[in-house]
Amino acid sequence: MLIKRKVGEASRSKHQAVAAGLAAGVLDRRAFLRRSGLTAGALAAAGTIQLGAVRKAQAAGSSAVGPDTVIKKNVCTHCSVGCTVTAEVVNGVWVGQEPSYASPINRGTHCAKGAAIRELVSSDRRLKYPMKLEGGQWKRISWDQAYEEIGDKLLAIREKNGADSVYWLGSAKFTNEASYLMRKFAALWGTNSIDHQARICHSTTVAGVANTWGYGAQTNSYNDIRNAKTMIVLGGNPAEAHPVSLQHVLSGKEINRANMIVIDPRFTRTAAHATEYVRIRSGTDIPVVWGILWHIFQNGWEDKEFIAQRVYAMDDVRKEVAKWTPDEVERVSGVPGEQLKRVAEKFAKEKPATLIWCMGATQHTVGTANVRALCILCLATGNVGKPGTGANIFRGHTNVQGATDLGLDVTTLPLYYGLVEGGWRHWARVWDVPYEWLQSRFDEVPAQAGRKARSRKENMEAPGITSTRWFDAVNLPPEQIDQRSPIKAFMVFGHGGNTVTRMPEAIEGMNKLELLVVADPHPTTFAALDARQDNTYLLPICTSLEMDGSRTASNRSIQWGEQIVKPAFESKNDYEVLYRLATKLGFADKLCKNIKVENGVPVAEDILREINRGGWSTGYCGQSPERLKAHMRNQHKFDLITLRAPKDDPEVGGDYYGLPWPCWGKPELRHPGSAILYNTNMLVKEGGGTFRARFGTERNGQTLLAEDSFSKGSDLTDGYPEFTFGVFKKLGWDKDLTDEERATILKIGGEKPDTVSWATDLSGGIQRVCLEHGVSPFGNGKARANAWNLPDPVPVHREPIYSPRPDLVAKYPTRPDERQLRVPNIGLTVQKAVAERNIAKDFPIILTSGRLVEYEGGGEETRSNPWLAELQQDMFVEINTGDAAERGIKDGQFVWVYGPENKSKTKVKALVTDRVGKGVAFMPFHFSGWYQGKDMRDYYPKGTDPVVLGESVNTVTTYGFDPVTGMQETKCTLCQIQAA
Amino acid sequence: MRRATTLFSTLLVAATLGVAAPAFAQSPIQADGVNPMGARPTADSVNEEFLFKQSDKIQGRISIPDRKAANLIQPQGREYQNFREGWLPWIGALVILGMLAALGLFFLFRGRIKMEHSQESGKKILRFNAFERFTHWMTATCFIILSLSGLNYIFGKRLLMPLIGPDAFGALAQWAKYSHVYLAWPFMLGVAFMFVLWIKDNIPNKVDIAWLKAGGGLIGRGHPHAARFNAGQKGVFWMVAGFGAAMSVTGLMMIFPFALTDINGMQLMQVVHSVIGIVFIAGILAHIYIGSLGMEGAYDAMGSGKVDLAWARAHHDLWVEQEQARTASGPQLKGHPAPAE
Amino acid sequence: MARMKFLCDADRCIECNACVTACKNEHEVPWGINRRRVVTLNDGKPGERSVSMACMHCTDAPCAAVCPVNCFYTTADAVVLHSKDICIGCGYCFYACPFGAPQYPRVGNFGSRGKMDKCTYCSGGPEPDFSTAEYEKYGSNRLAEGKLPLCAEMCSTKALLAGDGEMIAEIYKQRVIKRGYGSGAWGWKTAYRETVAI
Repeated sequence: MLIKRKVGEASRSKHQAVAAGLAAGVLDRRAFLRRSGLTAGALAAAGTIQLGAVRKAQAAGSSAVGPDTVIKKNVCTHCSVGCTVTAEVVNGVWVGQEPSYASPINRGTHCAKGAAIRELVSSDRRLKYPMKLEGGQWKRISWDQAYEEIGDKLLAIREKNGADSVYWLGSAKFTNEASYLMRKFAALWGTNSIDHQARICHSTTVAGVANTWGYGAQTNSYNDIRNAKTMIVLGGNPAEAHPVSLQHVLSGKEINRANMIVIDPRFTRTAAHATEYVRIRSGTDIPVVWGILWHIFQNGWEDKEFIAQRVYAMDDVRKEVAKWTPDEVERVSGVPGEQLKRVAEKFAKEKPATLIWCMGATQHTVGTANVRALCILCLATGNVGKPGTGANIFRGHTNVQGATDLGLDVTTLPLYYGLVEGGWRHWARVWDVPYEWLQSRFDEVPAQAGRKARSRKENMEAPGITSTRWFDAVNLPPEQIDQRSPIKAFMVFGHGGNTVTRMPEAIEGMNKLELLVVADPHPTTFAALDARQDNTYLLPICTSLEMDGSRTASNRSIQWGEQIVKPAFESKNDYEVLYRLATKLGFADKLCKNIKVENGVPVAEDILREINRGGWSTGYCGQSPERLKAHMRNQHKFDLITLRAPKDDPEVGGDYYGLPWPCWGKPELRHPGSAILYNTNMLVKEGGGTFRARFGTERNGQTLLAEDSFSKGSDLTDGYPEFTFGVFKKLGWDKDLTDEERATILKIGGEKPDTVSWATDLSGGIQRVCLEHGVSPFGNGKARANAWNLPDPVPVHREPIYSPRPDLVAKYPTRPDERQLRVPNIGLTVQKAVAERNIAKDFPIILTSGRLVEYEGGGEETRSNPWLAELQQDMFVEINTGDAAERGIKDGQFVWVYGPENKSKTKVKALVTDRVGKGVAFMPFHFSGWYQGKDMRDYYPKGTDPVVLGESVNTVTTYGFDPVTGMQETKCTLCQIQAA
Repeated sequence: MRRATTLFSTLLVAATLGVAAPAFAQSPIQADGVNPMGARPTADSVNEEFLFKQSDKIQGRISIPDRKAANLIQPQGREYQNFREGWLPWIGALVILGMLAALGLFFLFRGRIKMEHSQESGKKILRFNAFERFTHWMTATCFIILSLSGLNYIFGKRLLMPLIGPDAFGALAQWAKYSHVYLAWPFMLGVAFMFVLWIKDNIPNKVDIAWLKAGGGLIGRGHPHAARFNAGQKGVFWMVAGFGAAMSVTGLMMIFPFALTDINGMQLMQVVHSVIGIVFIAGILAHIYIGSLGMEGAYDAMGSGKVDLAWARAHHDLWVEQEQARTASGPQLKGHPAPAE
Repeated sequence: MARMKFLCDADRCIECNACVTACKNEHEVPWGINRRRVVTLNDGKPGERSVSMACMHCTDAPCAAVCPVNCFYTTADAVVLHSKDICIGCGYCFYACPFGAPQYPRVGNFGSRGKMDKCTYCSGGPEPDFSTAEYEKYGSNRLAEGKLPLCAEMCSTKALLAGDGEMIAEIYKQRVIKRGYGSGAWGWKTAYRETVAI
């Protein structure tokens, strides 16, 4: 696109200038600041910046040889788009970043965070060495001491309180390999309380989508949005959260003159580019979606053939939708019927149409139901399984998809194998660890508070505690917590402490813990906000850019990132730390039984090979490290829109970029991956598929298998169940298996070989034969409009716990109180109290939260990056001009935002704008380091405090959890704002 | 088309308002309640032409705490360029060279005004005490350096740079800039002192009218009455006070840029500072002429501080009377200062 | 020779600030100096647009004209550069610049604004190409490597275009034809005294 100018030979580069300086010892990477005339005065003026005394990575001195620039490729860690980062490394120092034009995903581009990512690695605000808190003082310790002391304490706590008393929190910034290793680690430790950020971003998506059509992931890809003629973005602001995705969205909008409809309580930067903006009241997504469907059904715009062939129980939805007349929708959500009619007509008729959603849809007490409603909208209009359609769910971190896939989740084993005996036995086989030994690691739970006791086996199959409730599992009376003991120790890997709601209670929980270990490149909120005096450890972990491994982008493409530079300071990578901890805890031999360990560090490639050996259920079996590396070498060969490489290419011929899962069979089979899920217009072996027959074959006399719909080239021309050795025998396909494959199946099956399925057959034979017959290994089912196993099988509107409309609470109450995921969820009790006490009178403003482009997540690392921090120096609240005028609040002044729980309050700057509607306020969630008006900078270990600190929005957020996943309510609570 | 504006009209409006224009542009499209947009926001989006119809510069919102960064486009920069490079050098050259020419001509025709002798000749009267003289010379020294370094901003690159080359000129200009900025402070102090010291003798009165009617004695013969300062000197006083204040205010605004005003205000400050500076320089040239070359005996007032009584009687008769009345047998009236023994 | 220009397609710009941090990254630009910035117009209201702005490398550049020490020069590619050795930090270029491009580090007491710093179109300064001195004073010299400014190369939505004026105008024109409406070549009239005719 851009026009290049070539003058002479580009034989020398700027890096030679830098490198010459490095070699001569006159110029390090900060020298520019000091010597360019842009001297320290400017920095001193900023107040918080100090030129760190600690130099990162000393360059290799004065090498006589001319400096060589080495190019390394990794993946940006700041969202799930999966932008390739191209680094130029000289003498082991990362000196420059170049645009990654070859990547079909980002095509050279970045957002503010990606373009500043080099500083993440070079930052001298990182944790430099292990530290412990002793009498309230941070003290430097060695890694050996850290492993010893932490290990001893863990073992003591385990001895006294059981395995479940230690909570393990992983990270969406892990590589797939680290995610897998940590999930395995937790299994070997003997607990299911292992979670990560997906809990608080898209756990409801995974639950809702998987329960509809099989897999909990984005069905299409960012690139495929270029094919859409209509796109609805509901509850998402990709312009700030996924800026590079907008390249595809806006290109599609231009090329197809597509409709781009944004449905959101806030006029976001994405909405500014929409062709239509629909402003709704926070928490009324279901009424709005049903309102759209009302028009679709009323006018017969639904895709009747698609529904008949591929959808189960759409009539149940019709009944619910019929209640949502335009008047009722407007009464509840504020959206006029005419506007929704226009949206409905476009989505149903100007096809292909796609639905994009993010945390505006998921972070609600009705998150799973929201997601289900959105899926149903796609199903009703036949907008799934084709280019330009689908549920394009934008996830939040580099590898939040992969970490979810690999089981950093309290309800699953790696690759969504359930916490059932079959699942455990599958992984026991892959790991080569006796099932009985695994079982022996779990606690026996005594009977308490009227609940029955749980055996080790039952506890092994009971989902753990979610990361949204960890502090409840510390603070609540022990008998309220459905495990042997409340949580006593918290092991946090790469996770902020300010991203979970109800911070005052989280801080109380932190203070009660017997052991808190934070393993992260930065100290995080956990280290800085509590009043702990002892037994707190900080372990410096390198960034994901300093380690090898694969990452799964939102579109399920897996990209191999290579170590750009060696871990800075004394930091170590996740593999090493987990391995060393396992060594101390006594199960390292099992953790890495079939994984090569070099110099005390498990080898990433080998971990991926083990994932391949066990990852059949999700098609993580074909993506060998060799294939993934070949993709990174050949990035430029993949098509911008289809993501496919030309068939004749020797290395990556016919592959989809990153082998998006499912990538069936063994790597040798060379399945190309599936760029678009459930696409019946393609051969399964070319990436086509059907809806997964995950929920049986029949219910209440209705078939759950597809009717007259099958994927291209299928030998079976109707619906079919998932494949087992038994089904194979009936079809006579068992003869197609090789002797070796058959032997493996029989060995696995033991007495019941017929039950060995496509997901448990370690030989890959069943999948291979399925592909030959053109069928999906997981069957050919119907997507479910009615998911009978969920609390609300057909989504129904339920008012937020802190509803601004007490008048609606009686008609649309939240679900009854219930025990979920080992803790009570008393949502209804709280909601009733809120309505009865008319909290909405004292807290009249709806508070919603969201993302800024400059920061990510809890924000600790991005707020430590001066290039980003400079762009957002103050925590703020967006307040409507009318609300501000009523309160005498001027733009830029400090205000207090009061929350309705815990007498919480935050002191932030006012940003007066009509971006938020009257009666609505918005706060970004990336800030931390101030607490209820107090600056906590001194609590950080010296030199590790982020450049910018601010109040965390979650200090004022409130109670409310999704019944299925424990997702927290961050998008809709109430607050009051006053000038400070 | 953008509304046609001249630099000055814009700037004067800005100056009248006294402060920066509001940081955020007015909204051309008003939001209406819950659902602000039914139409196509894409097509309705703001564009440059539209915004220039709303305002003569384009401003928005920016997250960095630098208000001036929120200005996207200010075409007034081009107008400032036109003034500074088109008008200013001509104004500067004409005014200063014009004054020099006028003084030259005056000298040619009128010559040096000689001291007239009388029986009081040789007797001295103290006209300015040490502090007054110190103040005067401090201010004057600063003024000269400020003038030269100031003129360097306009003429340096045209006159000096071709002679000494860019590197030497760059270094010189850097020092000129430092001296301009640092000597501004003693200059401002000096102006303030002078104002306090001499204000009481510089209130205009009827005598001044007569003095002026008589042409100040410069033209023609005979001396009109004058007190401590004649109308001409009062003019210089008020010029120094007025221009000094103007230069100080505008100069301070530039030393602390954007502290109190926005970009257009800054442009205005620059314009005012340069124009007044030039006129000021021209005025002071005349002052220097009359105080030195132009009139015999005048220099002594600021030199030794003591002037010849005859000269004083001729030029400041009312003041001499006043002084004599005040200190009837004061030391001032002694014929000669006590000889040094 | 090419006539280098910037063009920000406001219909694509989403204020992601990648251009800003790419610039910081490429040249190690310190805190407080913003060679490039993104301004949002009509913020939070229908019709909101953002525009990324830096030095536009004007035709008949006002900064160069008003500079009392003539420290500016224009390259063969029509890039407006300056010499920090000659610059005295007077600030006049900021008053003249229609786009707010010049930046001054505060280096001490009143008045001692440091040497002006601004966008170099990633093409260094008067020192020899790729010299350490050039990098220290002005940042890297991508243009001499045959590369374009990193801000445009990394722009998330390819809103910010850099390159030969005629060619980027052509790219922009094609987009306008495709989508059916223009968004204006922001600043072109002021900087180049022309606009992109569609």
